[in-house]
Amino acid sequence: MTEDSIKVKICRYDPDRDRQPYFQQYLVPAERQLTVDEILAWIHHNRDDSLAFRTYKCYKGMCMTCLVKLNGRNVKGCATRVEPHTEITLEPPDGGRVVRDLVVDFDRM
Amino acid sequence: MEVLRIQTDVVIIGGGGAGCRAAVEVVAFTACDRMLDLERYGVEFRKYDDGRFFQTPMPGQTYPRSCFMMENGQHMSTVLAKQSARHDNVRVLKDFFAYGLLRSGTSVVGVVGMDMLGGRIVAVQAKATILASGGYTSLWGFSDNPPTLTGETLAMAYRAGADLVDLEFNQYYGTDVIWPPSVRGTVVLYELMIEELADGEIIDREGNPIIQKPLPIRDDAIKTIFQTVSSGKGTEHGGVYFDTTKSPKGEAKVREVFETMTPKHYQFIIDAAGIGLAKVPLEVAPASHYQCGGIFINERGQSTMDGLYACGECAGNFQGANRLAGSALCDTQTMGARAGGCADDDAKGRQLLPIDEADLGRHVDLMLGRLTKKSNPVRPITVKETIRSTMDTYVAPFRDRKGMQRGPSIMEGLREELPKLVAPDHKRYNIDLMEAVEAILMLDTAEATFRSAMFREESRGHHNRTDFPDTDDQNRRCHTIIARDGDKPKLSKRDVIYTLLPPEEA
Repeated sequence: MTEDSIKVKICRYDPDRDRQPYFQQYLVPAERQLTVDEILAWIHHNRDDSLAFRTYKCYKGMCMTCLVKLNGRNVKGCATRVEPHTEITLEPPDGGRVVRDLVVDFDRM
Repeated sequence: MEVLRIQTDVVIIGGGGAGCRAAVEVVAFTACDRMLDLERYGVEFRKYDDGRFFQTPMPGQTYPRSCFMMENGQHMSTVLAKQSARHDNVRVLKDFFAYGLLRSGTSVVGVVGMDMLGGRIVAVQAKATILASGGYTSLWGFSDNPPTLTGETLAMAYRAGADLVDLEFNQYYGTDVIWPPSVRGTVVLYELMIEELADGEIIDREGNPIIQKPLPIRDDAIKTIFQTVSSGKGTEHGGVYFDTTKSPKGEAKVREVFETMTPKHYQFIIDAAGIGLAKVPLEVAPASHYQCGGIFINERGQSTMDGLYACGECAGNFQGANRLAGSALCDTQTMGARAGGCADDDAKGRQLLPIDEADLGRHVDLMLGRLTKKSNPVRPITVKETIRSTMDTYVAPFRDRKGMQRGPSIMEGLREELPKLVAPDHKRYNIDLMEAVEAILMLDTAEATFRSAMFREESRGHHNRTDFPDTDDQNRRCHTIIARDGDKPKLSKRDVIYTLLPPEEA
């Protein structure tokens, strides 16, 4: 990567259309650390209006609505920072039924 | 798209000088009972060793009244959610984006929303509908409330024909983080700056303290911070610095203050921004925080439309012009129980009124119309952001006619964009589809707020006009009402009802 950026692979899956999940790649400009939430919001705003993810914020790292699997581990998207010049993989968080892309049903989680 | 129909007795939409005395009395006289209910459900209150409730005087109280729950509203709402899940006759529709009230004749007969998980429109036909959806604080771009609180339910009530009240009384919190973006909107407790606690300073871009100790009340601090930024002495990102780095208490003691008093916020700022408040100054500024006004209700929680009730922050009248610290949670429990009880009583004596299919059709079209192809498509986010930044600029802690009058014309311009709003065609969890409908409704609430703020030509409580800096009790000690008249908004004054003591005798 020649300019400051983060390479993001996101697991996409629309149960109404896709037979199985697949990964889609995005390049997010990043001159400083960005949280996962910031990365998703940028992608949705600037690259892909079809991306489904939880947008609610509690502003204090408590509500867990932003739960997402980052590089294989469940984390809070709002409170987890990613360095520029890294590559990350985002998937729906473990434990919930996948609704679409990164959104899961929190029932029974 | 499938429309799911549900019938019920009562549907509650959850999710924000001028307070009529009867509503105030409900809060004052039933607060203790509601608190004991909460304790019975499992909420823990701070108590003395002998079992008495710990109470302190919050600003504006004549006696120590305020009680404290461990972790405040978060704890209370978790307990209440668990309690309501125990009842078989309570059905919760999760991830339900309510966006329209169903009308039949002059009555509200239910609500329309989108089931975001299943991707279906749902029409809930009900004998009584209660809006308990929180305030419209995130109609402003810089806000410390969740981004979902953009005032759709006020627009829904307005469109259905209900009166809205006192929309101009907008409370700000003075020291919310404005930079970096990952923590923008997080509350940094101003009160911690006192000498006894962190003993830090609020400073301008040159390092000069701008607020003297003992700390003034929040409203005065907001004025000072606002003026510092307006005069060009603010930080790069439009704030001031919350700086504890030179505190005589030392870093370890300051850190202890943050870790004891606001542990979650302190840790969140470290995790999300890599900033330790005790080590690094933080850029803060006044952000939109709470709304006193909303859907007009009486002491039974009834709106001016048959079949429609409201309570909590989305309702107006109780809070008047200036919300006191410690009153908002109390409002939710007292008026919440009251509205629920009265709606239930009324529902018992009613029939389920039929849905007007043409009305339902219009609500369905509002949503589905976004999915058709447009020649000059507009992303909903661009309309939302323009509304929010317009509110930030012109309906600010200090406002004047010259600025505010630009609001309605900007909103008019945005209305012309609405037919071009488009969303991708996905059934489930379609964010742009939801945002398109949010944008449409936000325009109504924003315009109503602008017009109300221009209508009240005085300063009172949380409405501060630089062009009318005095309080006008002779002409303006009353409510501002805005309601639909045909397809235009109509503004009027309404008397505040004093049942016991008028303010001059209190």
